[in-house]
Amino acid sequence: MNIYSLLRELAKSVRAQNLFVAAKEVNGVYLFHNKVDFSKLQEIYLSQLYNYDSINRDIVLDNISKHVTDNEIYTDAYLIYKRKSIKKTIKDNKKSDVNLVVGKKISFPTKKV
Amino acid sequence: MEDRLVDAENIVKSMDEDINLKRVEELIKDNRISFNHKDKEYRVRLLNLSEKEELDLLRRRKFGQLMKDKDIFLEKDLITQYKERGINIDELDDQIKKINAEELDLQIKLGESISKNENETILQTYKDQIIELRTHKQVINSQKTLLLEFSMENSLLNYVAQIITYLSLEEEVEGKWQRMFKSLEAFQIYEDSELINKAGSYSMLLQYI
Repeated sequence: MNIYSLLRELAKSVRAQNLFVAAKEVNGVYLFHNKVDFSKLQEIYLSQLYNYDSINRDIVLDNISKHVTDNEIYTDAYLIYKRKSIKKTIKDNKKSDVNLVVGKKISFPTKKV
Repeated sequence: MEDRLVDAENIVKSMDEDINLKRVEELIKDNRISFNHKDKEYRVRLLNLSEKEELDLLRRRKFGQLMKDKDIFLEKDLITQYKERGINIDELDDQIKKINAEELDLQIKLGESISKNENETILQTYKDQIIELRTHKQVINSQKTLLLEFSMENSLLNYVAQIITYLSLEEEVEGKWQRMFKSLEAFQIYEDSELINKAGSYSMLLQYI
């Protein structure tokens, strides 16, 4: 296994994910000794921590396949699909916003005195 | 210097075999990487501002030299020369683009199947197809890399990697870390190519070039 695959293995481990959540929420918990000037490896690790954190949430909330973390091909494919879906949603929302502005007269409820 | 580059791939391979999860944890704990070589401690670290300026100066100087060298061609000129000899690198690029598009299409389908929690057999089928495409792409990429090995861009990248190693390699002397090479000349004539390759591979894990 090459170093980048091992980095992903580490990022998806329960221990690393727990530490990541703690570092986000608890003041004084840090992932690295250095707080600035991150190395390339550290930056890649951080992005993998975020990826697996978001996937773990999707497994629980959106009931996606648990196999998503079985291998890198599944994980990458899911993340690509997710990003594409988000982009599409944003695009669709923007379209409907425009229609709302140009379209009908909106009646706000008035307060009775 | 060329011998060092030839050996680099083997060093990276053996490093991959040596690295395990525990070692990865050590590699990311800070922005330095320490390692042992022939019972002595060494480390590589991120370049500081003045070292980055030195790197930039040396890079520009090398670029000027390479531009004057008539034996080294820019990638685009090399591609034209190959074309005259019947080797079409643009075609290789087109093949890679086509494979990338097919791969992306399969990835999106696979991602959708995962999000719909579909049967694992379906996921496995997509995975196998993606692996097949990647293997094919790897062959074409290797062909292209070999053909453009001696381009000016490649020479400059290799040079930059060497300079980063020269600037960032430190040795432990009496409990204190100090720069291993006082001059570029001393680095270039240094005999232990195994140490240089090891340090080079580690320093490439720390910074982008």
